[in-house]
Amino acid sequence: MSSRIKNQLIAKVITRFPRLAQRFITAYEPWESGEPTPWTAVTKPLSECRVALVTTSGVHHKDQLPFDMQDSEGDPSFREIEGATISKDYLITHDYYDHSDAEKDLNIILPIDRLRELQAAGTIGDLAARHYSFMGHIDGHHIATLIGKTARQVVEKLLQDEVDVVLLTPA
Amino acid sequence: MGLVQREIEKAGIPTIGISIVREYTEKVQPPRTVYVKWPFGHPLGEPGNVKQQRAVILEAFRVLYSVAAPGEIVDLPFRWRRYDYESYEEPKEFVPNQ
Repeated sequence: MSSRIKNQLIAKVITRFPRLAQRFITAYEPWESGEPTPWTAVTKPLSECRVALVTTSGVHHKDQLPFDMQDSEGDPSFREIEGATISKDYLITHDYYDHSDAEKDLNIILPIDRLRELQAAGTIGDLAARHYSFMGHIDGHHIATLIGKTARQVVEKLLQDEVDVVLLTPA
Repeated sequence: MGLVQREIEKAGIPTIGISIVREYTEKVQPPRTVYVKWPFGHPLGEPGNVKQQRAVILEAFRVLYSVAAPGEIVDLPFRWRRYDYESYEEPKEFVPNQ
């Protein structure tokens, strides 16, 4: 537990003083696949596209299992987010950033209300009913699980829902 | 986040990501990214700032439709509180170029 409190404190400090974050940014080496960057061309106007959100901000519904913050290599699992109810029923489990602002307004990490406005205005064709949340900060052996299993499960769900465009938000 | 983005794009769904750490995005190489030099935990901006949040989303969609080559990172001109979001001109339409 004490290491969780330490991480939460560091997160608060580096959110308030972004210059201090540089040390942590430099210390973390993201995994590089070495494969060419994938590419799918957009073929439809946005006004005909169904849009879904994928976030790595660690947000989830209150009754869902929180992300595992004890494992220093992170938690590669995801939570399915119901767009219709999430604004009124959410928790953020993530010790590596200060989410006190996101607790005031979910839209700064998961812009569900903004997308709903764009849908109402006809800018986007449709908003998917389901969205997906990871916690980010995945390292070590969890990277294989993320790429080989959980990301693929999310892809399956996006394809089932006939999603045309995905907007991804970090934290 | 970029790793998940790459998997979605690979499956045939176009993606656009928002980045708050340019260094990571440069290494992970997601297909398309907009970058904001903003504090952690605030990829869309400040709580309650609807204009700011909307501007980031619309710029992300603009980039989704304008980037022609994989791996591009577009730096957004928004400077946190020192940008007049009222003056942001929203793109009129988002259509594939061809």
